Amino acid sequence: MDLKETPKKVPPDHQSFNNFNLQQYQQKWEEEDSSIQDYNMNIEQSQFPEFNQRSEANPNNQTKIPEWDPKAMLSNLSFLEQKIHQLQELVHLIVDRRGQGPSRADELVAQQQQLVTADLTSIIVQLISTAGSLLPSVKQTLSGNPSFGQLSGVVFPSGPNFNGNGNKVSDQSNHVDLKTEQNWTEEHESKDEEDGDEGENLPPGSYEILQLEKEEILAPHTHFCTICGKGFKRDANLRMHMRGHGDEYKTAAALAKPNKESSSEPMLIKRYSCPYAGCKRNKDHKKFQPLKTILCVKNHYKRTHCDKSYTCSRCNTKKFSVIADLKTHEKHCGRDKWLCSCGTTFSRKDKLFGHIALFQGHTPAIPLDETKGLLVGPSDKMETDEIANAVGFAGVNFGSNISNGTGVQNVGDVKRSVDDDSASFFSPLSFDSSNLGGFQEFPRPPFDDSDTSFSYLLSGSFNYARKNGGECGSNDLE
Amino acid sequence: MESLPPILSLLTDDLLLHILSFLPSSSSDRKSFRSACRSFLRVDSLHRTNLKILRPEFLPSLLRKHTKLETLDLSVCPRIDDNTVTILLSRGVGSTEWTRGIKTLVLSRAVGLRWAGFECLVRGCPGLEAVDVSYCCGFGDREAAVLSGAVGLREVRMDKCLELSDVGLAKIAVGCGKMERLSLKWCLEITDLGIGLLCKKCPQLKHLDISFLKVASDSLQAIGTLQNLEVLVMAGCGLLDDDGLGFLGTGCPSLQVLDVSRCDKVSSFGLVYVIRGHSGLRQLYAGYCFFELSTTLLHRLKELTNLNRIRVDGAGVSESIFQIIGTNCKFLVEIGLSKCKGVTDKGLIELVSGCPNMKILNLTCCDSITDAAVSAVAESCRSLLSLKVESCNLVTEKSLHCLGSSSLLLEDLDLTDCSGVNDAGLQYLSKCSELLCLKLGLCTNISVKGLSYIASNCTKIRELDLYRCTGIGNDEVAALSSGCKKLKKLNLSYCNEVTDRGLQYLSQVKELSDLELRGLVNITGVGLTALAAGCKRLSELDLKHCENINDSGFWSLAYYSWNLQQINLSHCGISDVGLCMLMGNLTRLQDAKLVNLRNVSVQGYELALRACCVRLKKVKLLASLGFLLSPEILDALRARGCRIRWD
Repeated sequence: MDLKETPKKVPPDHQSFNNFNLQQYQQKWEEEDSSIQDYNMNIEQSQFPEFNQRSEANPNNQTKIPEWDPKAMLSNLSFLEQKIHQLQELVHLIVDRRGQGPSRADELVAQQQQLVTADLTSIIVQLISTAGSLLPSVKQTLSGNPSFGQLSGVVFPSGPNFNGNGNKVSDQSNHVDLKTEQNWTEEHESKDEEDGDEGENLPPGSYEILQLEKEEILAPHTHFCTICGKGFKRDANLRMHMRGHGDEYKTAAALAKPNKESSSEPMLIKRYSCPYAGCKRNKDHKKFQPLKTILCVKNHYKRTHCDKSYTCSRCNTKKFSVIADLKTHEKHCGRDKWLCSCGTTFSRKDKLFGHIALFQGHTPAIPLDETKGLLVGPSDKMETDEIANAVGFAGVNFGSNISNGTGVQNVGDVKRSVDDDSASFFSPLSFDSSNLGGFQEFPRPPFDDSDTSFSYLLSGSFNYARKNGGECGSNDLE
Repeated sequence: MESLPPILSLLTDDLLLHILSFLPSSSSDRKSFRSACRSFLRVDSLHRTNLKILRPEFLPSLLRKHTKLETLDLSVCPRIDDNTVTILLSRGVGSTEWTRGIKTLVLSRAVGLRWAGFECLVRGCPGLEAVDVSYCCGFGDREAAVLSGAVGLREVRMDKCLELSDVGLAKIAVGCGKMERLSLKWCLEITDLGIGLLCKKCPQLKHLDISFLKVASDSLQAIGTLQNLEVLVMAGCGLLDDDGLGFLGTGCPSLQVLDVSRCDKVSSFGLVYVIRGHSGLRQLYAGYCFFELSTTLLHRLKELTNLNRIRVDGAGVSESIFQIIGTNCKFLVEIGLSKCKGVTDKGLIELVSGCPNMKILNLTCCDSITDAAVSAVAESCRSLLSLKVESCNLVTEKSLHCLGSSSLLLEDLDLTDCSGVNDAGLQYLSKCSELLCLKLGLCTNISVKGLSYIASNCTKIRELDLYRCTGIGNDEVAALSSGCKKLKKLNLSYCNEVTDRGLQYLSQVKELSDLELRGLVNITGVGLTALAAGCKRLSELDLKHCENINDSGFWSLAYYSWNLQQINLSHCGISDVGLCMLMGNLTRLQDAKLVNLRNVSVQGYELALRACCVRLKKVKLLASLGFLLSPEILDALRARGCRIRWD
């Protein structure tokens, strides 16, 4: 509603939200990609300067070995081995360059040298941290070691301009905090669960609250080409795009992932506020619950405060505001056969019953339409046949009924019912008392001509049964 | 009115009503009363609250006359289907007056009813509190959904509603939150989910029957939360185990009656858990649960001082159980020890000496007991009502002597297969003049001598079983027919000496409604004609293997026995015409067994089934006929909810 009124609390360290947003988002994406499976790939990439690799490798080790674990140690050792090989290659590279002589432009050579140095630093840092994690006791002190921050801090200024995005990178060192291991894993888990942080209970003040504007949240692209202005959702895509703008973007450094920096001073954890006033996720709400990541902010804002513009093409009823939600739904759409009276569908019966147990007055809905047709169809047909026959025979039967005085008290009723057009009720009676009628109830011709003697007998029994009517009347109830 | 006899002008409606109130509501006396004259009939119908209808023909007029109805029973009325109900309820306002007071609807076996019919009934009877739809095999979720519209329902019986699933149960549970009594026996589709939801939505449940369901301990955990539950019946739940019973031990604070019969996975330990939490338990049924009663369970039984009834059929018992029960359960009224191993004279004597109030004793197949035990039972338990000693071969006339002299209230005695029973024994027994039900099957040593004593003294007898009593002939039947005029149920199967003459005697027993004559090869159409003409109330008749009855007999059956509900004609010599006549004319017939009729052609079957397909609820046919009969007739049968059993 009053988007503009929401106070924009600008932390002093940040120059603009926009930059921050871009950085964070990009980081987020990279981190998502990194997993243990990606480990090797990362190692391969690590010949390029990547500071954030340290924070990738380390948490993996840490989460894997809460205590001393020989398996993890083995993998660490092989990791070390690889790193040392890389180091060797790098040194070879330097040696080769020196041997080549100044054939290229000095500037370029200087850049490459910087690149190599940065890479060296990165690998050494990784070596140190991995080696440290081999000893559980050492690990703790190492991960908390401020000297690492210093180390990267030293190296960092040398590599800012690789992206060709000078102003963006220049303040990275201030923006990207040195994340604690715990924070990292949490962020990794809470990819789509904005409610995942309910139990977090960070004391207010222990984290920094950031609030993005509606337009920023809803912007389709977060990375823009500085040359042609084309927007991208992912920085990696932008980097691929940039290659088309010239050879300088094709260098290894230009194509490398932007660095994940760490600043020398320890930073507050960041949490996000929804710009929508009155929302529980808005920082002015009494029971404010912050959102963990930019992605959470985006999904939350779209889900809660935007129109649901994506409609499922299968059921044409379910609508979503986040396209990923639609895709998730489409995977299951049509398979949710458990339906509640409130319209909610479930893929599992126990989920439906849990839902019903929870809400007053909700009941499971029965998909009726097809059963309706099946059940009523044939019997209805029979009824109508019966009625048709009954009407034909009604006069005869009831006439004989009355003349024989069956059930004294019934006479009046019978007459009335004949007068009514609802003789169908009495069709059973007419059928009972007249087998002839009964047989004709079925629209099957063979019976008429096949057994003439039989029909004679039956008509005999017709009269024969009548005599008994009176006696039975007294037995009609117990 | 002007021509009323003087006596009736003195009797005002109030006085008549007062007189009426002295007559038991379900007796033939009431019938005599209302048959006396029109004004009696009027008074009766104006104040009648329950009605059981046997024939659909009279339904509208009867309902119009009885405006104070609270209970309507349509369970034995054929042809109750959606159309009938719709028409009954869619008449003018005047004729649907009867629905206003209706609280109970018995629609058991109303297989033709579907959701549309139930919808009419539920809408028409706003005060509905109890519904019985047991054995309506077509009763499914859709019907349950409609029924759940009756929000005032407190009691629902849905035994063997095979189509009912958790969804339907959930409908009822949510719709009828006041539910107190619910039976889900044999509803095989119900699972733990349904029971869990039921317990959550119907906290006032007092009586719950989940017998033979495939439910496990999750259900019992949910049931444990029911604060008001008094009766829990869960016979034959093969998945329930001791852990589940543990939940019962800590929950269900009001539990008084527990039935865990035939729960294969339940052991003595499970029962120990339950008893630990419920020392006030009054009735415990644990037949065919375990092989041996463990000593821990026996010691726990001591705590059940209020125990009224216990059944441990099929378990191995030691003498200590009798001692423990005899000294602790002073209020015991019933004990079931059928097929228990280890029941001895000594044990029984100890038991009955401590339980003077014992009324019902089941000792079926406890073959080591002798006259000593039965004498002790007779002497200690003066108010004994029911004694079952089937297959106790050591029981002789001495036992019957003691019973005859001490147990004068005895109503129910099962002496099946007791070869020690003879004429002298029956003479002693005839002093038990309150006898209602006597079973003498396979007692080959009895003859007219003994039976005539029974016939002349035990005139209240309603049920008599003489299955394979080879000593029984026409004379015995004659004696019975002259003495036991109240006889309703009689089994003469394989008493081959009985001939047409015997059936002629039998035709004098006007109350007879249930007769088994299997394998009587000496009876012919003449005998059957006499029987049919005499016993007008006959509703169940078994003529299997009566091979010498000719069509004339069946014709008269078709002519006279209008009240026949069930018939077994398997292996009879009935012809095409006879079968068609029978099936077409017997308008109350709902269950027919027609296996191996050697003189009936496929077309005969077809015609006969066509003649009765609208009212049959169950039919048994030879499996090979399934391919020969036309699909139309089979569909027609099924559309009406008729179940076909292929033999």
